[in-house]
Amino acid sequence: MNKNFFEIKNVDFNVGGKTKVKNVSFSIEKEGDIICLLGPSGIGKTTILRTIAGLEKIEKGSIKLNGKTISSEKIYIEPEYRNISLAFQDNSLFPHYTVEKNILLGSERNKENNEKKLSLKEIVDLLDIFHILNKFPHEISAGEAQRASLARSLITQPDLLLLDEPLSNVDQSFKEEIQVRLKKILNKLKITTIIVTHDSYEAFYLGSKCGIILNQELKQFDDPYKVYHFPNSVEVVNFLNRGILIPAKVTGKNTLENWDLGIIEGNFIKEYPKGSNVQLLLQPEDLEHDDKSNLKLEVVDRKFRGTNFIYTLKTPSNTFIPVFVHSHHIHQHEVDEKFGIKRPIHIDHIVCF
Amino acid sequence: MRINFWYISSLLISLFVIIPIMTVFSSFFENTSNYYQILKDTFLLEYIFNSIILLFSVLILTFLIGTVSAYLVSFYKFPFSNFFKWALILSFAVPPYIYAYSLTAFFENYGTAYSILKNLFGEANYNRSIPKFDGMFGVILSISFSLYAYVYILARASFLYQSQNLIDLGKNLGFTKFKTLYSIILPAARPAIVAGLSLVAMETLAEFGAVDFFSINTLTTGIYNSWITFDDLAFANQLSFFLLLFIFALFVLENLSRKRAKYHMNSRGGFKQKQKIKLSGFKSFMAFMFCFIVLFLSFLFPLSQMLYWTLKFPENLFDLEIIKLLINTLYLVVLSSLALIIFALLSNYGNRVTRDKTLKILSILSISGYAIPGVILAVAFITFIAWFDESVIKNLGFFSIKNIFIGSILGLVLVYIVRFYSLAFNGIKSGYEKINISVDESSYLLGYSKSKTFLNIHIPFLRNSLLFVCILISLEIIRELPITLILRPFNFETFATTAYISASEDLLEAAAVPSLFLILIATSFIIVTSKYILRDKDE
Repeated sequence: MNKNFFEIKNVDFNVGGKTKVKNVSFSIEKEGDIICLLGPSGIGKTTILRTIAGLEKIEKGSIKLNGKTISSEKIYIEPEYRNISLAFQDNSLFPHYTVEKNILLGSERNKENNEKKLSLKEIVDLLDIFHILNKFPHEISAGEAQRASLARSLITQPDLLLLDEPLSNVDQSFKEEIQVRLKKILNKLKITTIIVTHDSYEAFYLGSKCGIILNQELKQFDDPYKVYHFPNSVEVVNFLNRGILIPAKVTGKNTLENWDLGIIEGNFIKEYPKGSNVQLLLQPEDLEHDDKSNLKLEVVDRKFRGTNFIYTLKTPSNTFIPVFVHSHHIHQHEVDEKFGIKRPIHIDHIVCF
Repeated sequence: MRINFWYISSLLISLFVIIPIMTVFSSFFENTSNYYQILKDTFLLEYIFNSIILLFSVLILTFLIGTVSAYLVSFYKFPFSNFFKWALILSFAVPPYIYAYSLTAFFENYGTAYSILKNLFGEANYNRSIPKFDGMFGVILSISFSLYAYVYILARASFLYQSQNLIDLGKNLGFTKFKTLYSIILPAARPAIVAGLSLVAMETLAEFGAVDFFSINTLTTGIYNSWITFDDLAFANQLSFFLLLFIFALFVLENLSRKRAKYHMNSRGGFKQKQKIKLSGFKSFMAFMFCFIVLFLSFLFPLSQMLYWTLKFPENLFDLEIIKLLINTLYLVVLSSLALIIFALLSNYGNRVTRDKTLKILSILSISGYAIPGVILAVAFITFIAWFDESVIKNLGFFSIKNIFIGSILGLVLVYIVRFYSLAFNGIKSGYEKINISVDESSYLLGYSKSKTFLNIHIPFLRNSLLFVCILISLEIIRELPITLILRPFNFETFATTAYISASEDLLEAAAVPSLFLILIATSFIIVTSKYILRDKDE
C-alpha cells in the first residue's frame, strides 16, 4: 500500500498550453522531509511548484498530498483549499501593507492549529527582519523582500511548503547562515518542503533528496551524495559541471586505461565487460598532485578559488583536465610549467557512460 | 472555464453596456431615408470638411498647450510652478459650451470687451475693432481650451516617470535642451500624449453644445439633424460609424508608425528621480507667462465672465432654484458614480480571475461607448427600449415599460453608465495593472477565497484609483449635456441643461448663473482631489 506523504505520478507540467516538463514522477516518503529540485533557468521548475500549489492545472497524471488527490485530469482543488504555501522568487508581498501586516495575514491561516506554530517574533528572529517590519515592500531590498515573503509562508503552517529560489537575492555573506537557520526550523517543525534552486550547493545542503530537471525531464531523483558522485547521465554531469569525460578502455574488474593517463584503478559503480570502450567521468578531486611523479602535464590555466586552486592541464592528446590543489600548497605552478600527477591513479567511484 | 459568480456578473455587465452600442452598429445595415440623398447632394462634403478642420485644429492646439505646459512644470522650477502644476487642470471645470458662451459674451457687439474699452477710453464705436471669436474659430478655441487638460495630465504623468538617467544620457551625448526634448523626452512620452489626444479626438467629434451654439455644420450636426429633422436614426448611426472609423484609422496609423519600439522601462531599478532645473531671468518669466496665459484663457477668463454677468444681472440669481439644481446634479453624480464603480469593479475582477477570452472581447467592445456621441447613445437607447417594449413586453402581455426607462432618472443613469463605462473600466483597470498577478496567487495560497481577496487585498489597494475614477465620472456628469437634455424627466433640470436652455433662447446673461455654479462645483471637486488626479509624489 502506498504510504507516501506526497506523490507525483506521471504528470506533464504545462503552462500556457505548452508542456514544460514531461512525465514526472517522484514522492516524499515522510512528513517533514525536504527535497530540492535543481535545473537551469527556464526549464520549468517554477511551473512544477505552481502546479503543486494549484495555480496551474494538469491534464495527465496525478498529485497526491497526505493520501488525497489534489490534482489530476478530473480532480482540481483550488489553491486556497490546499493548505500549501508557496514563497515566490519575485517579490509578491502585498504592496499596500507593511511587512509586518503582510506576515500577519499569513498567520490567519490555520490559527486554531498550534502544532507547527511559530510566533511572529520567532520568525522575525529566524530571518533577521526586525528592522523592516514597519516598512512597505517598495522600501526594502530584493533580498529583504524575499525573506519577508519566506516569513509569511512559514507562518501559515502549511502541510507542504514550496520555496522558489528562496535565497537567490540574499547576500552571499548572509545566505549560508540563513540556510542553516532555515534547515533547523523546517526540521524542528517537520514542515514538508520542496525547494527549487539552481544552486547545487544549496540543494545538496538543504535537501534529503535532489531532483535534476533537464531537457523537459526529471533526469535523476536521489540522495544529494549519489547525485553528486553517481550522476546517471552525461546531461547531469554537464549540468553539475563536475568534471570532464575522457575516453578509456576497461582492462579489468577494477581497472581501466586512458591513452594520456595510463592505468586507473577504482570501484566501478556499474559493471562493464573487459575490453569495452567507455567515457570516464574525471572530476577535479580525482587526481592528486605529485611533483615527483613522472606523469607530467602542461599547465594552461590556474584559477584561485580561496580554499583551493583549480589547474587546467593539457594532455598530449589535447584534452583539458581540471585538478584541485589545496591553496596552502607551497609550490605553485605557473602557466606553461609542467605539473606532476600522482601514480597510480585511484578513483573511489568510477563513473562511466 | 468555470461558471461562477464573477464570470456571470462580469458577462451580464458587459452585455448590458454593449446593447445600446450594438443598436447603433446594427442600424448601420438598415435602410435610410431621403435625407442621405439630400445631404449627399448638398452639404455632406462641407460637413466632412468642417469636421476634419475642427478635429485637426483642436488636436494641434491641445497638443501644443498640453505638452508645453506639462513639459514646463515637470522639468523646470519657476515662480508659481507648483501652483500651476495643479491649477492647469482647472480647465476641466469649464465645458466647451460654457467657454463658447464666455467668448461670445466678451467679444460680441456691446459685450464685455466693449464695456471695458468704454469705461477706460469713453464712448466710441469699438465694435468694429473688437475681433469676433465665433464660427469655426470660436468652436476650435472653446474645445481646445476646455480639453487640453487631457493631454496635460497624461503627458505630465509620463514626464514625471521619465528617469533622470534618460536626460543625463542626452547631456552625455552632447544634446542641447531642445534636442533632448524632441529626441528623448517627447518620443518617450508618445503613448501618453497619443492617449490624451485620442480622448480629445473622441470628445471633439462627440461635442454638441459648442458646435450647436456657434451653428457650425459638422458631421455631428448632420447626425443630430438626421435624427431631429428627418427621424432617420439609421443614417445618423452611419455617419457616427464613419466618424468612429476615421478616429480609429488615425490611431491605428499612429500605432503602426511606432513599429516595435518600447516606451516603458522596468519599474524596479534603473529609475532615478529627476532634478528640476531652476529657471531665472527672462526664461523664468517666459515659462511663468506661458502657464499663466494658459490658465487665464482656459479658466480665469470664462470664470470671470460668468461671475461678471452674475453680478451685473443679480436678478437671474434669484430666479434660479439653485438648491434644487444642485441636488439634481449631485443626485445624478452619486447614483451614476456608484453604479459605474460597482459595475467596473465587478467586471474587471471577473476578467482577472476567469481569464476568459469571451469576457475579454466583450470588455473591449463595452468600452467603445465613450467614442459614440451622447446624442446617438441617447437616441439608440430610446430606439432599443421602444423596440423591446413593442416586440417583447407587449407581446408577452405585460404593461409598457417605456415610462420606466424613457424620461426617467433610471433611463438617464443607464445611458450615463453606457457612455462613461470606459472611463470607469479603464481607470480601475489601470489600477489593477499595478497589482501583480502573484499578489492574487499569494492571497489564495494564504487561504483567502476569491471574494476575500477582492475585498481584503484589492479594494484597499485600489482605493486611490477608485477615488480618481469617481472624480472623473463626476466631472463628466456635471458637464454632460446631450444625454441629459434628451432623457431627463419632465421638469428635472441640472446646471448644464439650464445653462443650455437659456443660451439657446439667446439669454446668455441668464445662462451665466448656472454656468458659474457648474464651474464652481467642478472646480471644488478638482481642488479637493487634485492630488489624486495628478497622482504624483514629485515634491
